[in-house]
Amino acid sequence: MKKNHKGKILNIENIAQDTVKMQFSTNLEEISPGQFVSILVENKTLRRPFSVADFEDSAITVLFKVKGDGTNYLKNLKIGDTVDYLAPLGNKFTLPSNGEKALLIGAGIGIAPMLYLKKELNKKGVENFLISGFKDEREAVEGSDRTVIGGSVLDDIQNLIDEFKPQILYSCGPKIVLQLVCDIAKKNGIRAEIAMEKVMACGIGVCRGCVIKLKKGEEVKNASVCADGPVFNGGEVVWED
Amino acid sequence: MGRLGEKFENCAEALKTVDLSVEFKKFRMKNPVMTASGTCGYSDEFDAFLDVKNLGAIVTKGITLEVRPGNEGRRIFETEAGMINRIGLENVGIDAFVSEKLPKLKEKEINFVLNIAGKTIEDYVKLAEICENKGIEAIETNVSCPNVKSGCLEFGTDKNCLYDLISGIREKYKGFLIVKLTPNVTNIEELALAAQNAGADCISAINTLKGLGVELNFNGTNVFKSLVQGGLSGKCVKPVALSMVKRIKEAVSLPIIGLGGISKLQDLLEFVAVGADAVQIGTENFTTPDIAEKLIIELAEFIATQGFKSFNHLKEELRR
Repeated sequence: MKKNHKGKILNIENIAQDTVKMQFSTNLEEISPGQFVSILVENKTLRRPFSVADFEDSAITVLFKVKGDGTNYLKNLKIGDTVDYLAPLGNKFTLPSNGEKALLIGAGIGIAPMLYLKKELNKKGVENFLISGFKDEREAVEGSDRTVIGGSVLDDIQNLIDEFKPQILYSCGPKIVLQLVCDIAKKNGIRAEIAMEKVMACGIGVCRGCVIKLKKGEEVKNASVCADGPVFNGGEVVWED
Repeated sequence: MGRLGEKFENCAEALKTVDLSVEFKKFRMKNPVMTASGTCGYSDEFDAFLDVKNLGAIVTKGITLEVRPGNEGRRIFETEAGMINRIGLENVGIDAFVSEKLPKLKEKEINFVLNIAGKTIEDYVKLAEICENKGIEAIETNVSCPNVKSGCLEFGTDKNCLYDLISGIREKYKGFLIVKLTPNVTNIEELALAAQNAGADCISAINTLKGLGVELNFNGTNVFKSLVQGGLSGKCVKPVALSMVKRIKEAVSLPIIGLGGISKLQDLLEFVAVGADAVQIGTENFTTPDIAEKLIIELAEFIATQGFKSFNHLKEELRR
């Protein structure tokens, strides 16, 4: 199966401050929550990786925060423009077993893969709850069961866990949030799956540029965020400074 | 020979129609387009983008005697028209290469060059012996590694050290021996000569340039500084690479594989014009993973359209 594709932009809009939702056409038959696409940006050496925020009717949706040259280029694309992308890349979230409940935690733009995961969980009849957090109201993206504005998305998380009683936490967001999510999961004796981000060059596992460390038993091993991840078992990630 | 204005549907058709072959003394390639070490792994991952069998050859990720975990911390920094990497030679080690990767490359009939690296001359010599015993047809020696026994100066920056290293490898290895020169030297000519005198079969140039990426972030008056010191590659290094290839060509009679910032046909032609007999695509593999096949097709179309007889004919005319 070839992984280099071209699609046309079907919709592109600002959905919050400096936050763009971009939808483009695709011939892919399948792309799962947790997986990502890597989009070519004019005059840039490196492609830009984005989690899939939705996939339906031959269209992929990504969300991004406008930050640097790459996202500034992308936000100016128009409906009908071509998107050169690699997909599907990376691994997937593992879906819970029968009867298990899932708590989804999205921090900032990390909400993107949580939205797609939530949709799939709903389809499969998995009881779930999505909590997301944003710095301020203007940056908030819709689609959560609860939205925290200001402070940390994790401020009230213990109460939520006690109340909702999930067997698994899923999360995406800044490293500091993911690390805390893993601690919280451990403390509560439940599983955590986190989607990580790191600057990537190839996006397919060859360059070893986006490597993190995983501890499996006593053994510490490298894993590439792009090919072995981006989804990792939270209990295995070795957190570096 | 192709027809005027010919267009090819795919790479296999282009290769069937136009003679792009490159014949080195001990190594043959279907065409002059190779992929550079560290940018194509051991080839598997590229099956999703192209038919690796169509390439002139791939150069594997650098292999050391032992497994190496690579560097800690940030490894990639994007620059204007390029990137800096400090991977630190993360690789599976020669034993795993021989047992896991080599059978796959052979089974898939992929023409490959094994890139080797080490900390001491003895490391390289042992690797060379293994390559000889395993019948590996071609190796590329990464000489941009610190020589632990001589105060960690890189092998490739001192002509005597380079001569000893390549002589040592040559003694144990009869196959096609490529030496990949580093551009981080004052006098590339004397290093090319040292490689030639030590018995190398070919020179590839250039490896990455030393570079520093600086990222500054502010939160009010708090400054967050991130420095990434490593090897610079990509489009920005092409003029340096062209200059080095030309100087090497004038200094030695060995064939040369040119690399550094190649992303389009014009770049390939420029390298051939100043002395390259083949080229490697490096960083552009990350931007455009099917670039190698695209270049082969474009090269074949160009040769047919312009009326050249073959890649060799084009090379001769470019060198006049």
